[in-house]
Amino acid sequence: MRKIWQVAQREFLENVRTKSFWIGIFIFPLILGMSIAVPTLLEKSKKARQFAVLDRSGWVLDAVRPKLPESARRFVLVEVNLDPNDAGAEERLNRMVLDEEIFAYFILGPDPIQSGAGSQYLSRNLTDTDLRDWFGDLVTEHVQARRIEQEQIDAAVAEWIQSPVRFESRKVTRAGEAEEVSAEDQIRQWAPMGFVYLLWVAVFTISQMLLTNTVEEKSNRIIEVLLSSVSPVELMAGKITGIAQTGLAIIAAWIGSFFVIIKFVPRLMGAPATIDFSLITRDPVYLTSFVAYFLLGYLFFAAMLVGIGAVCNTLKEAQNLMGPITILLIIPLFAMMPITRDPNGSLAKMLSFIPPFTPFVMMNRAAGPPALWEYVATTALLIVSIAIALWAAAKVFRIGVLLTGKPPKPSEIIRWIRAPVGTVAVRRE
Amino acid sequence: MVDHALTLERVTKSFGDFRAVDEISLAVPKGSIYGFLGPNGAGKTTTLRMVMSILYPDAGTIEVLGHQNPEAVKDRLGYLPEEKGLYKKMKTAEIVSYFGRLKGLSNHEANRRARDLLTKFGLGEWIDKKCETLSKGMGQKVQILGTLIHEPDLVILDEPFSGLDPVNVETVIELILHMKREGRTVIFSTHVMEQAEKLCDYILLINKGKKILDGPLSQVKSGGPRTIIIDYDGDGAVFRSLPRVSRINDSGKTAELTLQDGASAQDLLRGLVDRITIRRFDTREPSLHEIFVRAVGGKTDA
Repeated sequence: MRKIWQVAQREFLENVRTKSFWIGIFIFPLILGMSIAVPTLLEKSKKARQFAVLDRSGWVLDAVRPKLPESARRFVLVEVNLDPNDAGAEERLNRMVLDEEIFAYFILGPDPIQSGAGSQYLSRNLTDTDLRDWFGDLVTEHVQARRIEQEQIDAAVAEWIQSPVRFESRKVTRAGEAEEVSAEDQIRQWAPMGFVYLLWVAVFTISQMLLTNTVEEKSNRIIEVLLSSVSPVELMAGKITGIAQTGLAIIAAWIGSFFVIIKFVPRLMGAPATIDFSLITRDPVYLTSFVAYFLLGYLFFAAMLVGIGAVCNTLKEAQNLMGPITILLIIPLFAMMPITRDPNGSLAKMLSFIPPFTPFVMMNRAAGPPALWEYVATTALLIVSIAIALWAAAKVFRIGVLLTGKPPKPSEIIRWIRAPVGTVAVRRE
Repeated sequence: MVDHALTLERVTKSFGDFRAVDEISLAVPKGSIYGFLGPNGAGKTTTLRMVMSILYPDAGTIEVLGHQNPEAVKDRLGYLPEEKGLYKKMKTAEIVSYFGRLKGLSNHEANRRARDLLTKFGLGEWIDKKCETLSKGMGQKVQILGTLIHEPDLVILDEPFSGLDPVNVETVIELILHMKREGRTVIFSTHVMEQAEKLCDYILLINKGKKILDGPLSQVKSGGPRTIIIDYDGDGAVFRSLPRVSRINDSGKTAELTLQDGASAQDLLRGLVDRITIRRFDTREPSLHEIFVRAVGGKTDA
């Protein structure tokens, strides 16, 4: 045990000294902070979009114009004195769009009251539809008012006719009562996705540290020196423990910074904290299971990657063998959306019982949340799989670390795993 | 009876169909310098790895420092493998201390000893430097110090001289003699016979997994017929034309000749004197190389 601890200690200290550790620590708060700050800043600094209107109806623009200053900060009407029916006018405006004097321009059809025919929106950027939607609503409002007036319909009647049927979302609680949907429910619904993504990044990058580390020790030729003092199993256990400490340090920093940022950044930006995230701290289904699933997921993939690391002599070889595992890891990402929509559906239930996916899928289902027996059964299955994976990894590690030359074929690795300890014929160098 | 640091009894190890070590038996007396000699692939490394319980024998027994189970005394052994390296990003004192801690020293004790050792062996300035900044010779020295920090009773060095320049070879020899003076048993392997000849009290000759001979160096050397060493200038082809010479090791400027039984050195000298310039003519015990070639019975690339 003492030796395992010594190995773990060294592993942890060495990782803490690397740049990538500190990048790992700061990247998440940085991204989170920026994702809050940047849109706010962008919104503040956004240049007002200039636009022009060719009014072929002759009255709509004049009717709308008094309403324009309300949104003047975002969209600014550029007055162009062009004859709307002159073919040259469009050409002239196209040029202005190209020269970026205006962002876009509208053509209003000759008789919008009769039909919208001939109305156009012209721009270089068709993905940003804010301007089109805003101006469209404004014009529609005025045109509808004219139509109602023309048909001599009572305004109140018109409004009543146009009022849509809206379904108010209500949530059926555990007690069997209907309840209003709160912001908290929204968080409950979507927070698991964020956690799954974080979990995925954490498991993937941190178990990969173990892989690079093991390959490095092999290519550095230090492994045999170590084996003269510790047994292969002690070495492997030490490495896995050391990197687990590194990983826990990183996610602890993430969780800590998450609270700090949620609390302070919106206020710093001048906006009050509108969303209450305290749900995430209160309900163990999030943070506790996040840490637990990180550890379990890490152990499972660590066992695989330490085995791969042990049989490879260069990172390139290791990356080739990593391929199938990467593909395996991507599946829970693909399943993320469907599971979020239906956390207790059959896809979610099925994937929960496949050990490599269990941590991600169960985290994903936190909104459900899954029944207690599912937690117990999937976790038990996962722990058994981890035990088997570690046992197999130890056998591969024991033989692999002393191998030089070409990495073994999968069939050879399987033979090592199946043979009893000490009887496997290592290829000679 | 001599007290033995290591005893091997009919130890065998195979890798698949390949017998790397074939029924090797030997005994290493305490406090001696013991050389494992043989060409590349002879089974030296495999044998040493079994002593270090990095590999396990298929058959036979290994007794290290009086224990049947070598793992029980792992912390009293020091091992320098042939393939060795250091963590590039660790400082020299840190890595030497780490090796000590892995052998069971307390953190404090390991740190203190690491600094002492590095200072004592002239690496004091490098204590706080990272290993990646060391030259190859210094790296080797740091590695050997790493095997000494826990004051092992038995030190095993696998090819400690390979790839070193003469100055660094001297450094390593110095370290080995230092260990002997402190009463430690040292086993080292090499395929360079000359080094073993200078250092060893005992040797083991091994080829293709089999023991060829072992024993005290003096006994091994006096065992066979004496040889003649000739330092010369001229065409070495003349040796081939000489009668009654059973073997020739010609290195261009120096040749070692073994005579057939009953042949006289006088006759040999007479036959050579007009054909090449002789700078030295000497009869003496055969070199280890010669002994090895005789024992293996034929040409080797050793």
